[in-house]
Amino acid sequence: MFVIITYDVSESRVNKVRKVLKKYLIWTQNSVFEGVITEAKLYKCLSEVNRIMDKREDSLYIYKVENPKNLSKDVLGICKNPEDMFL
Amino acid sequence: MYKDYYIFSNGKISRKENTIYFEDKEENKKPIPIEQIERLHFFGEIDLNTKFIGLISQYDIILNFYNYYGYYIGSYLPRKKNVSGLLIVKQSEGYIFHEKRLFFAKCFVESAVFHILRNLRNYKGKTDEVIKEIEEEKQNIFKAREIDELMGIEGRIRKRYYESFSLFLNNDFGFSKREKRPPTDPLNALISFGNGMMYNTVLGEIYKTQLDPTISYLHEPSSKRFSLSLDIAEIFKPLIVDPVIFYLINNRMLKEDDFDIEEGICFLNDEGKKKFIKEYQNKLETTIKHRSLNRKVSYRTLIRLECYKIIKALIEDEPYKPLKAWW
Repeated sequence: MFVIITYDVSESRVNKVRKVLKKYLIWTQNSVFEGVITEAKLYKCLSEVNRIMDKREDSLYIYKVENPKNLSKDVLGICKNPEDMFL
Repeated sequence: MYKDYYIFSNGKISRKENTIYFEDKEENKKPIPIEQIERLHFFGEIDLNTKFIGLISQYDIILNFYNYYGYYIGSYLPRKKNVSGLLIVKQSEGYIFHEKRLFFAKCFVESAVFHILRNLRNYKGKTDEVIKEIEEEKQNIFKAREIDELMGIEGRIRKRYYESFSLFLNNDFGFSKREKRPPTDPLNALISFGNGMMYNTVLGEIYKTQLDPTISYLHEPSSKRFSLSLDIAEIFKPLIVDPVIFYLINNRMLKEDDFDIEEGICFLNDEGKKKFIKEYQNKLETTIKHRSLNRKVSYRTLIRLECYKIIKALIEDEPYKPLKAWW
């Protein structure tokens, strides 16, 4: 499954959330992560984020695409972090 | 979901913010999500430290190192967590009793030949004669009483198989026979590189199971190498590596300048390696519907399933039936 996660978190916690997401997904833009992930891994990731977030102030959106084949991605302007298995 | 990452540039790799950062010579930093890494392959000159090793060991990530020519030099394997004394005893037993050893060795060869023929049948018309010859040779597998004999049969089949490549490959490279140590022409270089990748993939999968990679059946278990991965790779070389090679060459995706020749040694350069690896990874991630598991499994998983089948046979739970691609 392909997911896009966007978050809007208070400044004091934003780095903590970013750090967790970075372990699981690929950074796309400020406050946006994306990538292919399994259901279990996503659950693990979200439970980690859950511990950091303050549910009254912060929000985190998860967009799921069950079949990554149904996804097309276009970029206008610069691509900040091109994904590649070759470094 | 797990991915292999291939690092061709020179630079530094380190632990930062509980994940991995790669920093190249121009100081471009790039984070790699640690939870998504299957293996890391280092083709360039990389600096690393113990903090990095500590983190990847927690996640059971294997590091593979390659030299300038793309030749495998070694791995870093985290502490093995899946160990089983019982299985090592059983595995050794399988080697010591001649009948058992011969049975496993025959299974590996049989399956390899099955996949070789499967490849050749894709080019029917051009390869009829070779298929007939190999099928005749195949009969001898079941008659063999000694391992050496079996190796001889396997060697002859492989030789015939490689010779037939020129019949159906659109190659402008010119290829007559298989040469190793060192490969001297592009196709040989490609086969050597591909087989090397296969050994590592198999070794990585064996590592996830309780099998000991040093005790083997077809190849003589000797020191300094993981010969069980050579055994299991026999099955998967014609199933995975060779079709990738055919695909790359017949679609003219690899060109003359993807290879370098230095002092008579031919090898893939970085561009060539990238092209090969990309297709190889696609192949490993291709899924097929498994008949008895009744779900989709990738080629990579098939390798691990093969290891489990060997374990089952060793502990005498189920007789071993080698993989024969049914799709």
